[in-house]
Amino acid sequence: MDLYLEALGFGLVSMSVIAIAAVGFTMQFGITNMINLAYGEVMISSAYVAYYINRAGISIWIGMLAAAVFGAVFSFLLNRFVYAPFQAKGTSLIGMVIVSLAVSLMIANLLLPIVGYYSVSYENATGDLLHFGPIILTTNQIAIIGVALLLMLVIHGLLRYTRLGKAMRATAANPTLARNCGIPTRRVIDVVWLITGALCGMAGTVAAINSDSFAIANGASFLITVLAAAVLGGAGQPYGAMIGAVLIGVITELSAATWSPQYKEVVAFGILVLVMVLRPQGLLAKRGALAAAG
Amino acid sequence: MNTYYAANLLIYAGVDIIACLSLNLVFGVSGIVNFSFIVFQAVGAYTTAVLSLPPDSTSGYDFQHYIGGFNLPFPIPWIGGALAGGLLAIPVGFVVLRKLRSDYQAIALLVMSVIANTVITNADKFLNGAAGLALVPQPLSTQVDPSTDAYYYLYVGITAVAVVIVLIVANRIVNSPYGRSLRAMRERELAATAIGKNPVAMKMTVFIVGGVIAGLSGAILVGFIALWAPSVWLYPETIILFAAVIVGGKGNNIGAILGALLVPVGFEEVTRFIPPIGPVGLIPALQWVAIGLLIIGFLWFRPDGVRPESRRVFEGGPAREVR
Repeated sequence: MDLYLEALGFGLVSMSVIAIAAVGFTMQFGITNMINLAYGEVMISSAYVAYYINRAGISIWIGMLAAAVFGAVFSFLLNRFVYAPFQAKGTSLIGMVIVSLAVSLMIANLLLPIVGYYSVSYENATGDLLHFGPIILTTNQIAIIGVALLLMLVIHGLLRYTRLGKAMRATAANPTLARNCGIPTRRVIDVVWLITGALCGMAGTVAAINSDSFAIANGASFLITVLAAAVLGGAGQPYGAMIGAVLIGVITELSAATWSPQYKEVVAFGILVLVMVLRPQGLLAKRGALAAAG
Repeated sequence: MNTYYAANLLIYAGVDIIACLSLNLVFGVSGIVNFSFIVFQAVGAYTTAVLSLPPDSTSGYDFQHYIGGFNLPFPIPWIGGALAGGLLAIPVGFVVLRKLRSDYQAIALLVMSVIANTVITNADKFLNGAAGLALVPQPLSTQVDPSTDAYYYLYVGITAVAVVIVLIVANRIVNSPYGRSLRAMRERELAATAIGKNPVAMKMTVFIVGGVIAGLSGAILVGFIALWAPSVWLYPETIILFAAVIVGGKGNNIGAILGALLVPVGFEEVTRFIPPIGPVGLIPALQWVAIGLLIIGFLWFRPDGVRPESRRVFEGGPAREVR
């Protein structure tokens, strides 16, 4: 029984990490109609930015903010100079997926000569141990949960209660109509890439804090977990991504505790397959995997 | 030495041509973005390996652990490899091709490719894990000594025969009424459905055919290099083949062959002569970057490739601009 509770504790941390990442990913897809397969690589690049700042003796949380800025600027530029021109040219959805995969490959291999093959880890990334009955978490893990809760509240407030959020939802629902109503959709989309890029950068850093060490190869596994959570919740649905993150986080940690930690991503993939067979539109979907490709 | 180099080049060219023809059928002609192509090649290679290897308890082979080990003579492992590729396509197609939107198909297949590699790497009793299978018996090696020039000529000959057979099959498919339906489905699935075509059945069929051909390419490759491990079928390998089909011109077999000769064969041969400068791994990393640039550059400047698919117009129809 304690084993399960302990796994549940890790699940709380995992779901926080996944939620930050998956909300960013799903907002990119929902609002700009772009399945950004380079998301995992932007996460890992940002984690390295935080790593170099951390190595200079600065707190990892300052590093996380720097990673957020880096992720935001990087994602913004990526959209401005690669994705948006291709979309403006009328490239099909499939074409965009191929472009983003090519971008992902390029980021990983441009990063490789800079940071090297070896795994690295943050300094002082664990903090003190805290006991809550059978659940043992470090102070940094508690902080990750706090950061995730805060970010989810901010995203909720942004989407529900601000003009910008309203403009984002309008752009997601029908970009042409939104533009005709006087919403500057181009600027809205720029802001979306900045916000989601910042989420991506922070997600990369907290994911790296939560794992003992990280290397470039982790980009692909980040992407798989994020895809599983986003698809499970219904792609393009920020609240769905949060639910997806909760389920994927708990299930993967339970499987790691009872079966083998090597197969965490395999379990995430199993959930992805089940969702695609049984409910391809995801848990909360107005639009989803079922519609014909545009 | 030189014979070995030439044979090596020709056999890799043959394998890449077969792989590109398969990918062209599935992706170029039918529009299915099969990001787990390399898994089908890998299944063919592993199946061929375990069909031709003796059981792993045999002395000399007992340093590795694998299932099976049937020690079968030449054509059977290759046929088995091709069949395995086709068999794998059935469950994968069942999950991916029935309901999902095309971009979801692509991500599901990409994730499958990464996961399959993780599973095989970690399951070390199944196909010897990360170390992979070694000392795979080469075809006809009991009749002809594999270290002689004669064997290289023989292997190049067998590969050439396989290329010709696959090319004939692919051409027959592309030019048949079924190929026409596939192209119609690729261009506008709803319209193809409206005139009574069943897109799911058509996609499943072409996916299975593509799987068989991909499995065969793996069989030929493993027969020559005699080893197979998870590190040779990482998902970026699929991206190279996509680059080849896009560069050559998707949708036509000549373009696929051209792409196979330009990208996996030509590109890798040219970059082999770059002197190793900078830190270890710089040149391979930059090769991958160049592959990415090649894809993005072609999709931007010449999305139809070096040899675009010929536009097919119905002669008896009214003369007007198509599309």
